[in-house]
Amino acid sequence: MGGLQKKKYERGSATNYITRNKARKKLQLSLADFRRLCILKGIYPHEPKHKKKVNKGSTAPRTFYLLKDIRFLLHEPIVRKFREYKVFVRKLRKAYGKAEWTGVERLRDNKPGYKLDHIIKERYPTFIDALRDIDDALSMCFLFSTFARTGKCHVQTITLCRRLTVEWMNYVVASRSLQKVFISIKGIYYQADVLGQLITWLVPYQFAHDHPTDVDYRVMATFTEMYTTLFGFINFRLYQTLNLVYPPKVTQHLKLSALSASLARVVATAEEEENQLDQFPADGEQKEQEDQNRLFEGLKFFLNREVPRESLAFILRCFGAEVSWDKSLCIGGTYDVTDETITHQIVDRPDIDKQYINRYYIQPQWVFDSVNAKMCLPVEDYFLGVTLPPHLSPFVEEKDGDYVPPEKLKLMALQRGEKHEEEEEEDEDEDDDDDEEEDNDEEDEDLTEEKNLKKMEDQRSQGKVRLEQEEKAEEKRLAIMMMKKKEKYLYDKIMFGKKRTTREVSPPDSTTA
Amino acid sequence: MAAVKRLKRVAALQPGFISFKSSAESDDLNSGRRKRVNKNKKKNWNKHSDIQDVEEFLDDVRLQERATGGLISEKPDDSLFFVDIGEQKKRVQPEVQERKKGKKSKSRPLRIDLILQHDSLVPPPKDVLAHQQPNAKKLRRIAENAEKLAAMGVLPRRQKRLLNRRPATKTSKAKTAANNFPDRPYYDLWGAEARETADPYYLEQTGKRRVKRPEKLNAKPSILPAVEVIAPGGSYNPDFFSHQVLLLEAHEVEVKREKAELRIERQLAVKREDTATEETVFQEQVEGLVEEEEDEDEEEEEDVSIRGGLQQEKKTEKERKRERADKIKSQQKQAARAFTDKKQQLFQLRSIQATLKRREQRTRERVAQRKANQEAEKSMPRRLGRLKFQAQDLEIQLSDEIPGSLRTLKPEGSVLKDRFKSMQKRNMIEPRERAKFKRRHKVKYVEKRAFKEIT
Repeated sequence: MGGLQKKKYERGSATNYITRNKARKKLQLSLADFRRLCILKGIYPHEPKHKKKVNKGSTAPRTFYLLKDIRFLLHEPIVRKFREYKVFVRKLRKAYGKAEWTGVERLRDNKPGYKLDHIIKERYPTFIDALRDIDDALSMCFLFSTFARTGKCHVQTITLCRRLTVEWMNYVVASRSLQKVFISIKGIYYQADVLGQLITWLVPYQFAHDHPTDVDYRVMATFTEMYTTLFGFINFRLYQTLNLVYPPKVTQHLKLSALSASLARVVATAEEEENQLDQFPADGEQKEQEDQNRLFEGLKFFLNREVPRESLAFILRCFGAEVSWDKSLCIGGTYDVTDETITHQIVDRPDIDKQYINRYYIQPQWVFDSVNAKMCLPVEDYFLGVTLPPHLSPFVEEKDGDYVPPEKLKLMALQRGEKHEEEEEEDEDEDDDDDEEEDNDEEDEDLTEEKNLKKMEDQRSQGKVRLEQEEKAEEKRLAIMMMKKKEKYLYDKIMFGKKRTTREVSPPDSTTA
Repeated sequence: MAAVKRLKRVAALQPGFISFKSSAESDDLNSGRRKRVNKNKKKNWNKHSDIQDVEEFLDDVRLQERATGGLISEKPDDSLFFVDIGEQKKRVQPEVQERKKGKKSKSRPLRIDLILQHDSLVPPPKDVLAHQQPNAKKLRRIAENAEKLAAMGVLPRRQKRLLNRRPATKTSKAKTAANNFPDRPYYDLWGAEARETADPYYLEQTGKRRVKRPEKLNAKPSILPAVEVIAPGGSYNPDFFSHQVLLLEAHEVEVKREKAELRIERQLAVKREDTATEETVFQEQVEGLVEEEEDEDEEEEEDVSIRGGLQQEKKTEKERKRERADKIKSQQKQAARAFTDKKQQLFQLRSIQATLKRREQRTRERVAQRKANQEAEKSMPRRLGRLKFQAQDLEIQLSDEIPGSLRTLKPEGSVLKDRFKSMQKRNMIEPRERAKFKRRHKVKYVEKRAFKEIT
């Protein structure tokens, strides 16, 4: 045989992958340092398609990394810092052991540290890339900010996370970008629309929870380190887009309340500018959005003690309401219970002793449901002691034939109905103006005329709607006739499947209803 | 090797050197091994001539000249020695002291001065600077230059060094360089683009430019979203049907788990037939006790049924011809058959097409199935290490646990664990479990004294 003989496992996929231990030895780092480096740089292990080839014939489960990734890691300046830190620890331990306290102090002063800014810049070259990845960062920071400051993880990290989360919430309040809220048994899910990106994050409840033992804290701490850096830079940029000063003036207690108060003053000026700009063509959609953003505008809320204060304050402020609570709970409660101008008081008890007349006493679910329905729901369903309607998830999008819970149908009807009523009111106003201009004396006739006009408007609108529906049905029939045999066959099959699901869905409804 | 030997010899020749071997022996060896050297060469004058004694003598002379002012052998006796008479009378001493104090004259020089006099023959070196006479012109020129430089602002080197020797300010950068301190300042990271200041090749070669991040690393390791919202049945106040759906899912998971447990139990279970009955137990106990008559092994006679091989008769010509003709005929038949088959296939087109269609459909189905499997695998967590990914239990609350209000809600599940598992699901970290504590050496059990006394 001529030519060089090829040996097995010398080229191809066997040489593209490297095991974790070999990679660690190549970088001359300990396992913890290697893991930390991979997390910081965003290098993940890969599962090769043909394990036997890569593992050189054995099928033992091993962790593989791409060789090119590890070679890229060799150029990282942080690797040097890790090694310096290892040396620092060794020197410090020796100094402690020899009881050289001046040496200990000197070493401590010169402790090596590293910065992650260049890594963030490298992983997310543009701001939008970073925004897309912020979900994870948000959830982690919110999670860490709920930890108790016992010392299991650095207290500094917890404080930093708290500060960043408060800044983020202030940004959302200022930009009015909150869209959906969902209260689940795990925690509270929020969704906001920031600069065109839909961002979902999960906030755990504030009640103390025991820490599970099978979670690796070091790994989570490393992730948090990276995410706090990323999050801080994103916050800075977001504040810049709103022309707000960063960092906002922080009080000692780092509570959302105080910051919102100070931000409100700054935001007012920005809003005035917005108003001037918005006089230009306001489309139907834009107007709708703005209306949604001012959902609770002008309303004054008071939160009772037993209600989750931070979450409610955040949501209410996002939609333009004024919120306050009892001064003894936390700083930032601007007005007291006894204030007469309060329109709604949020209570979670079965009953309350002193009742003011001109305010509604409602349960907190009203706020969440209103936000999800994008309108102020009727308050009667949420009075004290009333069994609440179920809290539906806004993250579920039902398709045509799926089951829609009856509450949601009611809601949609309400939404449509309210709009219908609004249109009617508008028509009524127009009619009123017309009539008043013509005859002021004949009020009865006007009234009857109004009623007739209303009826005619209804019929006409209904007729219009019916015409449209008929047109659409005709078009559909034409399209079906024009289809080819194959396509028609497929279409029939799909429709059959859909009808079957609807048939399955409707009988349970008919039995329960 | 020659160099080593040379070094050894030179070292051995130094005064005071004590070698391992006794001197006599070493001398013998040396004399035995002394090489013939040509002392006429300049190279060898230094190496092979022993001037140690002369050097010693000269060193001694020099030392005496330096330290004691001339050769001791040439000094007069008086300067070296004195006769020790003993203690003088005390009356003379106070007189001497009084006289000294009264006159205050140094008639006798102080002892220190005497000691500090240089009494060596070697004169102190001449002070060159003392003999230098200042050149007025030169000095004037130097002064003028210094004035010009001072006017321009250039300081002489000495002053520069004095100015530089300022007390070092302690930079407190180390403490603020930590990554996670709460008041960490942030800046606009994506703002100003830093231009490359120098030649790109130079930057690359000297390591000043950062290596580009490979494109593949920007791909996300999984298509799953970062935060997965819980199903609508997980709401704190769910509506009936979605809650039932969630309960059904959890129920199915539990059923699967129970099935797996049952399967294991079934595998481990013992068959009824294998359980010991009294009879079998008795037989087992009795085995080997009673001698049984061993039957003779019946040798199985192998049937040597060699059918007396048909004696092969030679084939006659006729037979051969017949065979040939048969062969040709069968071949022809087969050819004709194939031909007619091919012709008939024309009429079987429809069924052939049907079979082909069926086959194609099957391959298409399989291809679609494979693609669907691949797509499903993309959303599954990959096997990245020794441990398999264990999905966490669904967070649900039973119907009687559902709270009526937000105040009475008991949160279910831990968000920390959820985040950890989510990262494993998205292939960002490999599944890990807590490291077990393994003992290197077995623990020795030693009884306490109290117990020893008892037992």
